[in-house]
Amino acid sequence: MSKSDAPFFVGYLNIPKGLKGFLLKVSLLLFFGFTAGALLAGATQDDPGQAGFRFDFGRQTVEGVIQAKPYPLLHVTKGNERIEIGETLMLTGQGKSGAMASIAALEGTVIEATGILLNRGELRMLQLLGGNRGFKSLETDGPVPASESLGTWRLQGEICDGKCLAGAMQPGRGLAHKACANLCLIGDIPPVFVSSQPIDGEEYFLVGSVEGGSLSAAAYDYVGNFVEIEAALERQGDLMVLKLDPKRIKVIR
Amino acid sequence: MSVKYIPVQWNSNKWKYNAIMLASVFVYLLIFIELTPGIMDNEGRINTQVHNARAFGSCAFFMLSVILCIGPLARLDRRFLPLLYNRRHFGVMTAFVAITHAGYIVDWYFAFSKSNKYEALLFANTSFSQVSGFPFEVFGIFALLCLIILAATSHDFWLKFLSPPVWKSIHYLIYAAYIAVIAHVSLGILQDQQNHVFTLTFVAAGLCVAILHLLAALHERKHGDAAGDTSGDWIAVCNISEMNEGFANIVTLSGGERVAVFLHQGKLSAISNACAHQNGPLGEGKIIQCLVTCPWHGFQYDVTNGRSPAPFTEMVPTYRVKLVGDQVMIDPDANPPGTFVEPVPMPITEGA
Repeated sequence: MSKSDAPFFVGYLNIPKGLKGFLLKVSLLLFFGFTAGALLAGATQDDPGQAGFRFDFGRQTVEGVIQAKPYPLLHVTKGNERIEIGETLMLTGQGKSGAMASIAALEGTVIEATGILLNRGELRMLQLLGGNRGFKSLETDGPVPASESLGTWRLQGEICDGKCLAGAMQPGRGLAHKACANLCLIGDIPPVFVSSQPIDGEEYFLVGSVEGGSLSAAAYDYVGNFVEIEAALERQGDLMVLKLDPKRIKVIR
Repeated sequence: MSVKYIPVQWNSNKWKYNAIMLASVFVYLLIFIELTPGIMDNEGRINTQVHNARAFGSCAFFMLSVILCIGPLARLDRRFLPLLYNRRHFGVMTAFVAITHAGYIVDWYFAFSKSNKYEALLFANTSFSQVSGFPFEVFGIFALLCLIILAATSHDFWLKFLSPPVWKSIHYLIYAAYIAVIAHVSLGILQDQQNHVFTLTFVAAGLCVAILHLLAALHERKHGDAAGDTSGDWIAVCNISEMNEGFANIVTLSGGERVAVFLHQGKLSAISNACAHQNGPLGEGKIIQCLVTCPWHGFQYDVTNGRSPAPFTEMVPTYRVKLVGDQVMIDPDANPPGTFVEPVPMPITEGA
């Protein structure tokens, strides 16, 4: 087609006849291209797995002994139909705030805790109700189970924030979620290591520092990555706890 | 063309353009948000906020890819020029879709802490020294700021206020934004993908943009405007036999400026090739009702003086033309915009 024969489009004039069919095809291509794009991108998202707040269980009220370090734990002494005696529950506050600030002073005492359970498989966490409604001191001391050393282990897996991992967010792990996870850890949410190889049937491990306190902020750079760690493993109640030195973390990918 | 600024100068083609664009975006979001959760055979349910963020984010990416394909497509095949006509509305819509994506992200991943969510966006991940785990959010913030700047300055008021060259330079930010989006997605969601269908569509869209730009550049090199013979004071443009009534031949001067020499009613006139509106290629336009009409947005100029017809005020520089034998020549020194130049009659050929 010569230059003078080619249809010439001017926006404020009628579309030339020679262009109408072509533009109709382009419009249909755009429309159906977006339709196909939505199906391809939307329907092939990865499965975040079964996890989340168990609102279907309702509020849970149990009694137990508080262990404040490395993160607030409740060793259950009086359970209910959902939470058994002897279970060690990780505790968390509302949103991206842990329970450390409100619970730390109650170390070694018995409390009545009320909240909503979150769980991903065997990983369970209790989000305490807000304000003073989440716990009540029963003003008696109780025994914190002695920790049992299980030696030093080299493991591969991912450091996550325990709350999002347990289903507060779906998906709640991975590098796309790293900033959110870091923000949770900054707020004292318990970190959890997801091991690619279970130990004694456990694949989720609470992570603290070598000294027994909170995870060092130096480890935040590795959150969400697939890493290899070398850490001392302890059993505290029925919970496995890793004592991790950030220098012993190596990024695998 | 306008003599006063109004938000949008609607016409039936803009309505049609926007209707097709909005229908495409609407169907994308509708299918992604409402339909795909029922299609996925997943054990767990993705949070609504994350699902919506992904819908708007991926939609913005595909919109941006389409926008960036329009330019090279129009270079390769002039039939795509109508897609260029209202591309600004496509861009503004993309900015809104991207803002919605950012809103879902900030109000979900960065909310619920004791810190301000916008501050948290900046400090939550500071692993700048590593590739895997890099705070990819900064690329998203940068791209979003670019898109907002482009959308905010898209109106003709800014075009005139900033001048077309400055405005055009600012709007090249679209490429920086696209590269930032590629980095944002590559270092973010793609790092966690187990199902690679989105990865493949993402790569395909990015490659499409890159390949079309490459093809357009090759096409330009092969079929681009001839560089004028600068051996004398006057520049040779073409032989008179190459001129077509109502159309132009374009020549590139040594400084890079392009001049369009038109044949109109048997006479030759030369004006700048750059439209005063958005630097559109006037020489690729056509004379309609005695006026050179820009192929991009239909701005018009009198070919003898480079002035838009009253009441419009746009002007482009003109050039002197002469014939040396069969050769069309122009004086490379541009006249001030709007200067009348007497058209040069073509010789009457035998049998004409």
